Amino acid sequence: MSEPATPWTRADPTLARGVPDETPRRERAAAGTPLYVHLPFCAAKCHYCDFFSVPAEGHDRAAMIAAILREAELFAPRAPRTVFFGGGTPSLLSIAELTMLLDGLDRITGFRGAALEVTAECNPESLDRDKARAFLDLGVRRLSIGFQSLHDDVLKLFGRVHGVDDSFRAFEAARAAGVQELNVDLIYAVPGQTAEAWSTDLTRVLRLGSEHLSAYNLTFEEDTVFRRWLEQGRLAKSPEDVELDLFELTRELTRAHGLEAYEISNFARAGHACEHNLNYWRNGEYLGIGPSAVSKQGTRRLGNVKAIGAYARRIQETGNALHWEEDPPASTRLAESWWLGLRLAEGVSAREAAERARFEGDDSAARKLAGELEEQGLLERQEDRLRLSARGLPLGDWVAKRFLDTLS
Amino acid sequence: MDTQFIRNFCIIAHIDHGKSTLADRLIELTGTVQKREMRAQMLDSMDLERERGITIKASAVTIWHTYKGQKYELNLIDTPGHVDFNYEVQKALQACEGALLLVDASQGVEAQTVANAYLAVEAGLEVLPVVNKVDLPHARPDAACEEIENSIGIDASDALRVSAKSGIGVMELLDRLVERIPPPKGDPNAPLRCLIFDAVYNEFRGIIVYMRVVEGTLKEREITHMLGTDKVYEAVEIGRFTPEMKRTGSLSPGEVGYFISNIKNLGDVRIGDTMTIHKGPKVEMLPGYRPPMHMVYADFYPTNTGDFESLREALETLSLSDSSFSFEAVTSEALGFGFRCGFLGLLHMEIVQERLEREHDIDMIQTAPTVTYRIRLENGEEREIHSPGQLPTSDKYAQILEPYARVNILTPTEFIGNVMTIASDHRGTYVRQEHLSPTRVQLVYDIPLAELIYDFFDKLKSSTRGYGTLNYEISGFKESDLVKLRILVNTKEVDALTCIVHKDQAEFRGRSAIKKMRKEIPRHLFEIALQAAIDGRIIARETISALRKDVTAKCYGGDVTRKRKLLEKQKEGKRRMRQIGNVDIPQKAFLAVLGGDDEEGDKK
Repeated sequence: MSEPATPWTRADPTLARGVPDETPRRERAAAGTPLYVHLPFCAAKCHYCDFFSVPAEGHDRAAMIAAILREAELFAPRAPRTVFFGGGTPSLLSIAELTMLLDGLDRITGFRGAALEVTAECNPESLDRDKARAFLDLGVRRLSIGFQSLHDDVLKLFGRVHGVDDSFRAFEAARAAGVQELNVDLIYAVPGQTAEAWSTDLTRVLRLGSEHLSAYNLTFEEDTVFRRWLEQGRLAKSPEDVELDLFELTRELTRAHGLEAYEISNFARAGHACEHNLNYWRNGEYLGIGPSAVSKQGTRRLGNVKAIGAYARRIQETGNALHWEEDPPASTRLAESWWLGLRLAEGVSAREAAERARFEGDDSAARKLAGELEEQGLLERQEDRLRLSARGLPLGDWVAKRFLDTLS
Repeated sequence: MDTQFIRNFCIIAHIDHGKSTLADRLIELTGTVQKREMRAQMLDSMDLERERGITIKASAVTIWHTYKGQKYELNLIDTPGHVDFNYEVQKALQACEGALLLVDASQGVEAQTVANAYLAVEAGLEVLPVVNKVDLPHARPDAACEEIENSIGIDASDALRVSAKSGIGVMELLDRLVERIPPPKGDPNAPLRCLIFDAVYNEFRGIIVYMRVVEGTLKEREITHMLGTDKVYEAVEIGRFTPEMKRTGSLSPGEVGYFISNIKNLGDVRIGDTMTIHKGPKVEMLPGYRPPMHMVYADFYPTNTGDFESLREALETLSLSDSSFSFEAVTSEALGFGFRCGFLGLLHMEIVQERLEREHDIDMIQTAPTVTYRIRLENGEEREIHSPGQLPTSDKYAQILEPYARVNILTPTEFIGNVMTIASDHRGTYVRQEHLSPTRVQLVYDIPLAELIYDFFDKLKSSTRGYGTLNYEISGFKESDLVKLRILVNTKEVDALTCIVHKDQAEFRGRSAIKKMRKEIPRHLFEIALQAAIDGRIIARETISALRKDVTAKCYGGDVTRKRKLLEKQKEGKRRMRQIGNVDIPQKAFLAVLGGDDEEGDKK
């Protein structure tokens, strides 16, 4: 692509004023709290991606690992229930670097013996059999592989550095190494994509027999190359009816292959849903470490600085790299608990939503709205639990806005 | 101070001709305000005034000037330049003996300046012509003087030539002021008579009354009586504007200042009223102001129906400092309880709406402005129609009449053709034209006021590259071939969207209105049909398709805050919406029947 890539760092939209004495503070996470580790290195920035990452070359990766371990020493929970290595591209680290990171983290948290689920995100160009074996040896039992597309021209449009063959090779390598929990990431509703083309691609991936699949409708996030291209008219969003067709097709095909649609964009065989992510949708607490990582403690969300230099320096100097925090009002928290909980097939009950939000007042407005939405056919009820209906699923944000609107 | 050493004056000028700059320079050169405390547009205290670069309300400042060894008190009453605020100008003129007619040396005389200068001449003021910006390269002061003489008919041979920006000629101007403007008359020992020319509401101090002492002397602690409202208040604090309020304890004849008495009841103070001493000798009331003529009406409805009372309070507070708009409670089938408000013009309407939202934090829906129509019934009876919804079906009346405006347009001669074209497009009738100078011409047309409101002013600006200016006054009512254009949302008629239009334009207006509404109304979970109808006939239809997909694909722990804020931002727009049936209609859609940014306009 002739276009310069997205800036590797960008302003934090949730940014709080960074005056030292206003720096947010966090407690050490309670034992068992889910742990997220952000590894900010990528081979190249994908054009649709708005996560924080920097080029792998030219940065002191060892120093970053040391900083992350230092932050873990200060804040990471003992015996986290789940651990998730995201980024960035964790698989891009060398086996030596991974060993340093994971041995260190196990020494601090004891995750290898305690965690139910330990996941690392991988990209095809940096996942081979040795790397997969190393992950297993180091305590990572679940790998998530970013296929994204089954077309080399689309991968190129996405700004990715691997080909379609690399994706399949990486998958087979992971299996051959003995990885028993595998996820594949795909993106659909790419400009020009037809239902037929998506059906062919998705079926091909489903035949691989992964335990888990994430399929995302392409989103033109703010501050990405894709967003700029969209605004310049170089890319077009798929028409709404096409997006809706693809969304429904995805649910049908995954079901036919034995995967349950347990969230808007996530599909798994029975017992293989991602526990770490389920906790987000259940609005649970978690601890994030690494640059840009977000934590939820009590009713607050806190985010680390989105810059690797500042992150490493602040961790070294003060042990605190937090850059923003928010403590939304109870009504907003309640709306959030509904919004997130409704994304799940398991749904959410009014009582759970209030508990998760630590909402102690009168929640009859939320219950009344849920009732109205149920009458409209957007929600469906199983005993005391509500979830988005087949009609409501593709309108999840519309429903979320109703909750935010009504409650705050 | 002896009245012979007092001069009260105002400045008449068109927007951008340098009035606020000249006021700033007068304040600065006389040392009224220390230079370090100077800020641009000292007198424009409302945020809205600074932002828009216009003066909305009259305000006042006292400056001191020494002439031939004698110290003079000069009271500058600031006046707005826009035609919509003629009423404010009138108030200011009542408090003055003289006016500076400020004309930009490169722009020449503008239509609104002419109108305000006439008001000053009528009020018997000494008018001093002043040509500003003489140091600019394109200045043509001789032509400007010629235009002053030809358009206003006053001698401009000795007009002062100044640059308010650099200060050239400003000291001479101060001297000229003292020489030429007569001192106020008024006996300090006569029974007190003060003219109330303005008032503002202060949360802590109550109503602050702006006044000019005409006769007698007003001192603190005296008990005063406002004759018009028949209210009695003690003068708790008396002072002058420097331009900040400065307590002086008393005011003598000719002096302009303020009066504070912790007045909380908004109805107790009326602009134009006369204040005297309670239980003092009987005095004649001063001539008040001509009541303003409301030619533009629009309805305001609170976004939340529960805010009706707060909207009423806000309107009452605002009407204190802007007595020139009217309001009365109305009920709309579609929008519930609200207020029909009368305005002097379109800009006035916008200003009132913005002030309500900014100063009173009221969210409201405003309907498209409409003019006052008259219908004549078969039995000869005449009725006024302030709202298109009130217009009965055509078989119920014999004639419908609409207000016409006599419009004076001043434009460079090269744009005469363009102006004539838009005037005839807007159903204008040619009256006459006059050449003010070789390069400037005055065109006079009779144009229906409704056309002026629709988009005439915008079109005039764009077709004269911004050089054309206009001023108008209502010339009367004429019979017209008018029809009622109704808008239906999902087959339900929305009374707040009904308008009265000329038969020949009805189809076009109907089409363009629903096209605009289609862009403004957000998609709903169901299809929305928009229809325009004349009498019983549907003339246009647009459809807003149902929203079928709206869901965030990726939402993990690091995303929640940001995604929630995105959702909140989307719903922010919902604040200024009203639900009609089950359709949410945003404010902008209610103005769709107005001209302006339609597709035709976009092409320009």
